[in-house]
Amino acid sequence: MFVVGYDDSAGAQRALDVAIELARALGEPLVIAFAAQPPGRSVGDEYRSHLAVLEERGRAVTGAAVARATEAGVTAEAVVADRKVVDLLLDLADEHGARAIVVGTYGESPLRGAVLGSTPHKLLHLSKVPVLAVPAAG
Amino acid sequence: VGEAATPGGETSEHGLKANAIGFTDALVIGLASTAPAYSLAAVIGLVVVAVGVQAPAVLLASFIPMFFIAAAFYYMNKADQDCGTTFSWVTRAMGPWFGWIGGWAICTTGILVVGSLADVAARYGLLLVGWDSAAASKPAVTAIAVLIIAAMTAVCVLGTELSARVQNVMIFAQVLALLLFAVVALAKVAGGDAPEGSLDPSASWLSPFALEDTGALVTGLLIGVFIYWGWESAVNLTEETEDSETTPGKAAVLSTVILLVTYVSVAIAVVAFAGLDRVGEFEDDDAILSTLAGDVLGSPLDQLVVLAVLTSALASTQTTILPASRTVLSMARGGAMPDSLGRVHPRYLTPHVSTVLIGILATVWYVPLNLLSENFLFDTLSALSLMIAFYYALSGFACVIYYRHELTKSVRNFLFIGVAPLVGGLLLAFLFVRSVSDLADPELSYSGSSFLGLGLPLVIGAGFLLLGAVLMVLWRIGNPRGYFERRGFEAVRPEVAAGRAEPEPVLD
Repeated sequence: MFVVGYDDSAGAQRALDVAIELARALGEPLVIAFAAQPPGRSVGDEYRSHLAVLEERGRAVTGAAVARATEAGVTAEAVVADRKVVDLLLDLADEHGARAIVVGTYGESPLRGAVLGSTPHKLLHLSKVPVLAVPAAG
Repeated sequence: VGEAATPGGETSEHGLKANAIGFTDALVIGLASTAPAYSLAAVIGLVVVAVGVQAPAVLLASFIPMFFIAAAFYYMNKADQDCGTTFSWVTRAMGPWFGWIGGWAICTTGILVVGSLADVAARYGLLLVGWDSAAASKPAVTAIAVLIIAAMTAVCVLGTELSARVQNVMIFAQVLALLLFAVVALAKVAGGDAPEGSLDPSASWLSPFALEDTGALVTGLLIGVFIYWGWESAVNLTEETEDSETTPGKAAVLSTVILLVTYVSVAIAVVAFAGLDRVGEFEDDDAILSTLAGDVLGSPLDQLVVLAVLTSALASTQTTILPASRTVLSMARGGAMPDSLGRVHPRYLTPHVSTVLIGILATVWYVPLNLLSENFLFDTLSALSLMIAFYYALSGFACVIYYRHELTKSVRNFLFIGVAPLVGGLLLAFLFVRSVSDLADPELSYSGSSFLGLGLPLVIGAGFLLLGAVLMVLWRIGNPRGYFERRGFEAVRPEVAAGRAEPEPVLD
């Protein structure tokens, strides 16, 4: 089992390709996850419309990703959750006893990553299983 | 495959994160919802100049309509969680025309608030670094405020946020700095250490009835609405809090008590320590808190208050801009605005198109107004409060209409879902109408800024509403199907009201 963080970015698409390759080679299934929690306070009324939009987007992109995996002969499951991305991936890896977490990178400088928040960076420090960080451009 | 349940976290019946928020977080959100340090810095000078020693009373009294309206938000939220915005509630209960203009009013508050946030942040930022001469210069403050608007818009687009722990520390530090200021100021007054002109506090300062000039009272109450703006979100926490029967209730009550005590004690401290003549001399009203903090606490402790106001102004960007851009998003999804405004950024997951639009409109509006107006903050906050009163009143009425079949089912329903929202809506509608008629004569208004013979806040407020009405009609003509076919006068289904069934998402 591999957990893939997937948001349809260039890095995530390449991460998905790598994950599909690995999963097929090892005969493992994939969990393709999208964290839909909107930034900002999780209260108030407008939050829910925002969440609904993100969940819709999450279902669309993970659905397409699952189709791609299935086409390649890999069993895949989509997860869209109202969580922060790092928490979601760590919990999924834990829950499924994943071999590794696969994510794409944006290829940013460390400073930019520090300002915007770098998912691969946080995962590397917090994950109990190996993290495979896949760059967008080969 | 496809839609999946939330892993690693239970979801409550409504799909919200159960056990997501504990007591401390609920308390922090309750306190932070109104951005107390920034609100006080922006408002205290205006209120004291408008109503004198009755400032504490006015701040207390303006909580009353807010409290009643919060009941409306609480029950509407309960009935309509999945797509619950003021925009969608009002659309359901009162039809698309009212719904649209209510949503528009919320978007307008976003545009208006950015300018005042940036203005206060710019001034207090300059004071913090000790550049007092720049803080007193309008062009300098305006230039820095424009940079701050750009930065705040970027922060909202990127969705960057501080960790919850940092936010908790910041909000408690803000409240403590304000209370420290109030306690030391009052101790100095009591000990005779206050400068000449200081007043001894009196119990009559807490009575709004002691104010004879009703025009001043209305001005004070209208501005007072602004300092409690956002408080309803603290009440809406119930479903998302662990042990939702008691924890959020206690946290909401405690945060409200702390807020009221902070506002009233700072107001008493300002009036008592400075006296009315001195307060009246402040032209840049938002500088009053920092100046008095210098006298009361001395250097360097006074910087605590300055820092509190600055962090409060910056931190409240997300809690004030994001909801406005989310309303735009919600309206776009409901077919009430162009689709492009409902787009979310694929990476940052924020409604970036509407956020940038709000940032641009805020700049376009802030710069000329600040240069034109003699008292920018008064004009902005009055216009902002008009908008808040307008959409809060609509929400109150929408609640009563939406729940009309439930009101007679119990005394509790009648009082909390019927009477309270109705009274709150009527109070705010009265404030709105009365302020509009007062502002129609700039001679009577406090700042005296006028444009085309009308008070500037009215021109801004009414101007935005009229612009909204024009856009609404144009949108209706271009898109007669969809959103404008909605009928309004929907009612809550009895099962939903009783909490036994899910509401149907209609607008989303």
